[in-house]
Amino acid sequence: MSDVPFRNPGWAGNTGEFDLSEADVRGNAYAGERPLDGGHPSTSASYPFMLVARNPGAPLFEGPYQARFEKIRGRYPTARAALLPALNLAQEIRGHVSPETMDEVAALLGLSSAYVRGVATFYTMYNKRPVGRFLIQVCTNISCNLCGADEVLAAFLRHTDTELGDTSTDGNFTVVEAECLAACGFPTCVQINERYFEDVAAGDVPDILRRLTDELKGD
Amino acid sequence: MADSSRRADTVTLTIDGHEVNVPKGTSLLHAAETLGIEVPHYCYHPGLSAPAQCRICLVEVEGAPKLQPSCVTMAQDGQVVHTESPSAKRMRQGVLEFYLVNHPLDCPICDMSGECKLQDYVFDEGREQGRAREPKRVFGRDDFGGDVLYYGDRCVMCTRCVRFMDEVAQDARLTVVERGDRAVIDTFFESGLDDASFAGNIVDICPVGALVSKDFLHKARAWDLDHTPSICPNCSQGCNIDLHARDNLVQRLKPRENQEVNGHWMCDYGRANYEWINRAGRIESPGVGRGAKRRAADWQTALGSLLDRLRVSEGAGVRIVGSPFASNEALGTLHRLSRAVGTVTESVFRCRRAEDEDPLPGFPLLVRQRDLAPNVDGAGILGFERAGSDDATGGLGAAASHDGILFVLGDQLDDQPGDFGADASLYVYLGTFDSPAARNADFVLPVTTFTEEDGTFVNAQGRVQRFEQGLQAPGSARPVWLVLGALLAALEGGNPPGSAADAFAALASEYAAFAGLSHDAIGTTGAVLEPAHA
Repeated sequence: MSDVPFRNPGWAGNTGEFDLSEADVRGNAYAGERPLDGGHPSTSASYPFMLVARNPGAPLFEGPYQARFEKIRGRYPTARAALLPALNLAQEIRGHVSPETMDEVAALLGLSSAYVRGVATFYTMYNKRPVGRFLIQVCTNISCNLCGADEVLAAFLRHTDTELGDTSTDGNFTVVEAECLAACGFPTCVQINERYFEDVAAGDVPDILRRLTDELKGD
Repeated sequence: MADSSRRADTVTLTIDGHEVNVPKGTSLLHAAETLGIEVPHYCYHPGLSAPAQCRICLVEVEGAPKLQPSCVTMAQDGQVVHTESPSAKRMRQGVLEFYLVNHPLDCPICDMSGECKLQDYVFDEGREQGRAREPKRVFGRDDFGGDVLYYGDRCVMCTRCVRFMDEVAQDARLTVVERGDRAVIDTFFESGLDDASFAGNIVDICPVGALVSKDFLHKARAWDLDHTPSICPNCSQGCNIDLHARDNLVQRLKPRENQEVNGHWMCDYGRANYEWINRAGRIESPGVGRGAKRRAADWQTALGSLLDRLRVSEGAGVRIVGSPFASNEALGTLHRLSRAVGTVTESVFRCRRAEDEDPLPGFPLLVRQRDLAPNVDGAGILGFERAGSDDATGGLGAAASHDGILFVLGDQLDDQPGDFGADASLYVYLGTFDSPAARNADFVLPVTTFTEEDGTFVNAQGRVQRFEQGLQAPGSARPVWLVLGALLAALEGGNPPGSAADAFAALASEYAAFAGLSHDAIGTTGAVLEPAHA
């Protein structure tokens, strides 16, 4: 290993270390809160889960978002091709993709509402329901599963007092199962918004939740 | 093979050991079809695009590294194709096993049973036993609105319905929602198909029992239905249809392919309007005498005395009220008879008209026409003129008070007063239902509807099309051409027509529009009249 500290922007370190805060991760050009203009056109709204505004009633694609929407639309030869990034942007603004959002995006792109619904429901990374401040995705795919992902998931559900997919009463946590997060070397892997928490055991869960709650106090 | 490769427009290939020569650009599936080999398929439909996603039409092509989807693989010179090779059969068996993993196998209560492609293919080639031991996922059913009901559990996700709405109706209301084993067909949340006017076609093209008709739900089993080629009677487009009948009642109408009229499709309006054909209370025997003196009679008595009346009234003025629901044979024979017994001063028909046309965007030949009757153009060719308003009322003032001979054929005169035809010297009512305005008729003759006789209509394109008898006529109702043809033969000599084809032949010799045509020449897809006549 080199002496240069490895600073993967999406990686929060092993659960005991906690050397990256949410703020560290956000503001990165590739993962986290984007500049309002979306940054470089090639990545503008290319990834979902950029849960920034979380305002379900926010107007779609106004002001700087209008410019970003047009940038996205201009990147593709057909409206159909621009649908995924347009939905990403809508989710970035509103926090989830509601039926009304699908309808609005369909109208803006000149597609049928039914088609947009088909696309939005095909991809699991679009939230079809509002989610909490922290979207906790526990990998339950094979490597993590062999190393106790089910217990980790159960611990998250127990400590946040929620059902799978529901949001806790304080609006802070939504716990969902995820398929492979591509961190099979560090099971169990948990993705919380943009951060990866690796080597998570069921016993680490209270610490993680306490830390997330503390971060909220700092906001 | 060497010869054909020099010709640029065809290719020669071998399918299951049979050599076949097909035009360039023919898919393997179609090439096999020309040999009578049916390659199983779900997602492929000749009227739609081919996404090659159902994976059951895969065939072995020698030299190709893996099985090829026959619906999108184009035939090439020298290709050697095996549809029944061990690998193709094994593949189909495997695909079918997957289709059945979540299929409820509720064939005994499924409307599609008997005409279901999943049932057929599994019966032919499926495994005897499934190996899936996990519980099946259950969706239940979803009312799409209109006439369409969706059973998600039976769906094979061929997306024919999605593509029909997108490509042909050009109203992309259906989509695949979710993915994997949670995938279902749905509209945009609650928007439904209520105001879609061609959505009934998705029930026809569904290869399994996922989309079923609410109207037909649990009404009849497919194998109990008699299929009769016919013509949709509900507008002047004249879509080619099959009457599906059981117990002498029409159970449903299904489109019959005719690429020059309706493609594979028909509209919901036409499809839904068949109950009037089954209406009970028909006139079942001839009636002779006016008003209270009306007596039931047998045909021989009725026609005998009608013939006597016609013989003495020669030269009188004749007015005819026809119907655009009557066949060319009926209208033509009536007009010929009228001319034989007098001078035709008026021959009219009344037709209900819709406010606008309703075209099918992806198949623009098919239009639900304004005229809501099948033989408006035929009536025009045979000398009948349109009368009355767009709701098929009024316009019969002159006929109502006519003092010569009055023929009414097929028009029920619902809006006419009870003294209709009171002044007529002879009033003959040929119809299916009695009417207050038929009270003064000297003869009430029970005739058949288009479902109970052979005959022809002329559609809005000027195409003569045949329909066949699918139902037994009630009581002693007889086709108009048979009844009036017998009278005409008695008046003029010659043989009465023995069939609708004979009656049409008589028209062909008299009307220039039909010259040279015969029932045989019209065939199953119709014959276009010269534009000058149509």
